[in-house]
Amino acid sequence: MDLDLSEEQEAIRDMTHSLLEEYSSVEAVRIAEDDPKGVPEALWKQLSEGGLVGVLIPEEFGGGGLGMVEAALIYEEIGRAMAPTPHFVSGVMSASVMLEAGSEAQKLAWLPKIASGEAVLTPAWIEPERGYGEVGVQLEAKREGDDFVLSGTKLSVNYAGVAERLLVLARSEDGVEILLVDPHAEGVRLTHYLSQSGEPHYKVDFDGVRVPTSDRVGEAGSGWATWDTVMHRGIVLLAAQAIGGAARCLEETVEYAKVRVQFDKPLGAFQALAHYMADASTHIDGGRVLVHEAAWNAAEGRSIARFAPMAKLFACNTYQQTTKVCAQIWGGVAFTIEYDVQMFFRRAKELQLSWWDTPYLEEMIAADVLD
Amino acid sequence: MNFDFSPEEQTFADEVEAWLVENHDPVVMDHHRENFSQLSDTPERRAFMKKLAAKGWLGMSWPKEYGGQEIEGVYEFILTEALARHAAPQIGKGVGIIGKTLIRHGSDKLKQEFLPKILSAEVEFAVGYSEPQAGSDAANMQLKADKVEGGWNLNGQKMWTTSAHFAEWYWVGARTDPDKSKHNGISLFLIPMDHPGLEVQSLPTIGKDTTNQVFFEDVFVPDDYLVGVRGRGFQYIAEALDLERFTMFTLSPITNRTQVLVDYAKTSKRDGKPVRENPDTRRLIANIVTDTAVSKALSTRFLCAARGGGKPPTIPSSQYKLFTTSLSQRVCDEALDISGAAGTIREGQELAPLLGRFEGAYRATMNETVGGGSSEIQKNIIARRHLGLPKNF
Repeated sequence: MDLDLSEEQEAIRDMTHSLLEEYSSVEAVRIAEDDPKGVPEALWKQLSEGGLVGVLIPEEFGGGGLGMVEAALIYEEIGRAMAPTPHFVSGVMSASVMLEAGSEAQKLAWLPKIASGEAVLTPAWIEPERGYGEVGVQLEAKREGDDFVLSGTKLSVNYAGVAERLLVLARSEDGVEILLVDPHAEGVRLTHYLSQSGEPHYKVDFDGVRVPTSDRVGEAGSGWATWDTVMHRGIVLLAAQAIGGAARCLEETVEYAKVRVQFDKPLGAFQALAHYMADASTHIDGGRVLVHEAAWNAAEGRSIARFAPMAKLFACNTYQQTTKVCAQIWGGVAFTIEYDVQMFFRRAKELQLSWWDTPYLEEMIAADVLD
Repeated sequence: MNFDFSPEEQTFADEVEAWLVENHDPVVMDHHRENFSQLSDTPERRAFMKKLAAKGWLGMSWPKEYGGQEIEGVYEFILTEALARHAAPQIGKGVGIIGKTLIRHGSDKLKQEFLPKILSAEVEFAVGYSEPQAGSDAANMQLKADKVEGGWNLNGQKMWTTSAHFAEWYWVGARTDPDKSKHNGISLFLIPMDHPGLEVQSLPTIGKDTTNQVFFEDVFVPDDYLVGVRGRGFQYIAEALDLERFTMFTLSPITNRTQVLVDYAKTSKRDGKPVRENPDTRRLIANIVTDTAVSKALSTRFLCAARGGGKPPTIPSSQYKLFTTSLSQRVCDEALDISGAAGTIREGQELAPLLGRFEGAYRATMNETVGGGSSEIQKNIIARRHLGLPKNF
């Protein structure tokens, strides 16, 4: 039993850290907010060339062929830097769907491009007034000859504005399908809208969009099983991201609490505030080990049916709670755009609500324990 | 990174588990005693400790020259957790704070007198730090030790000496140098518990067991029984407390209670419907199970930081204690919420759900966020020594 990182793992973490320090500065993050593309070109270029976009993609497809522990270390840094990047939607979720269920031709066509950053793919999953489960996928995929015809609407399609393909979760007579769809195809309409974090979100309307059955990823009706498997791994990385964000937000707040004086004392000398920070640090340090345990289990090929939702549930609660008490310590200035703590505050809540939210995760854990 | 025990550690864990199953005895192992199950306070439990000693499982991490095996602390952790899982008595203060402090700081005489008896489970200790005016402010102890010919004369009072009514020896902090600063005027003494100048008074608790206050009237202690260097007592205490915090609050009772709660929710009904189908119950259990995994993560963090010997790491120890004791109480609280009206039935009666396990545990765990350094003290430690925040009191 040890929590030590290998030399290679330390190198990956340090490399990601310094890369993001340079290309995902707070200034760069602020500029990317609310932008329809939402990713600084220089940052994306560096992430791609540094081999970080393809971290989970095997070397035979042009990736780094690394594992979940390495990816978790990268995601903690992404969280720290609040890095505005389609890394998750493309390098993690889309790449993993391809690896899990794609045909050889599909893998060869898309994985090298994803790894090199040349193409961004993003999933189109969430639907208006529907939930996070399988039953929430109702966008119609009607079979007509060798085509599916798609009709319906998707929300929360992140980075669709820079995507070369959407991975659309749709419902056919066989069940849920995952379909590769060109966002510029006839009948597809992208509408950018503003999100709480400022990350680019899109509403995507499908109006009789024809997709050849050869663009289905995986067997007929197998889409949800693929998605569920891939999501389990994905949320472990988002949990790492949450820990990274919480850790940096707390660090900056601790430094502020040492220098900001009220009643002739630094804020950190007030127990009411010091204890908030001590609690937050305990949750962050414990949460980080839980996330590593989940990632390590995934890397060892063991089940993460319970670890993955536990990691995201706890890490996102920790991130949200940490940013809340940090805002309280900063006081009035936390409410202003000028100070950075609000950037963590908004991202924490968005991350908690996204990619399986608290009630969904709790039910996953309860089902695993009780049913 | 590796979250598994090594093959050798796993073999030891399996051996201990098999031995505990083989030696199961309901008189010795009683989950209903909750945290007090760690005491070796009855003839049966003391006989059990002798069997444990015969296995060579006491003092495994001690240096070989004192009868130990010099193996890593993780083996003691495995043993401690296994004993707690079975509600058996713990290897205790003798092997832990007292033995280890004597090895580091004790005279040859004290080592020769006490270390072999600790290893053979022939001696039980009581610990006296707290006083009426020294609770969280432990360094404020006022028990007076006046220098007299050949030794010391002790007068005053101790509080919360849980083992005073059955132990043979008393490990006591007293003020030998009232002119020095509060942290530098304390020395540690070893006193036979049957000394005529000691009076033990029981303090019944709302848990199922009692603790004690102890009064000192002209208790003479020979010079030889002052531990280590005069005036260094508080430093020795602080060093050992880091260890105590971790071993006093094992994880197994919490994972055990969580499992009992899960089994209860799976098997019981309310208004004809299975309790496990209640959405509130499901949320609550999901969060308890998750937080239990976080406690385990914090315990892993401590274990890994403590590897390679040396001093136990203070910060992981405080974080573990802070998080785990509060979770421990929450499990009991929420289990009673799930029980509803039946949760009010006092432990030990057939009428009570699970024989009142959680009713009793709810009372018994009340003190966990106070004893061994309160939650607020842990937060002060974390704030100052981990986050580098200024002194706040």
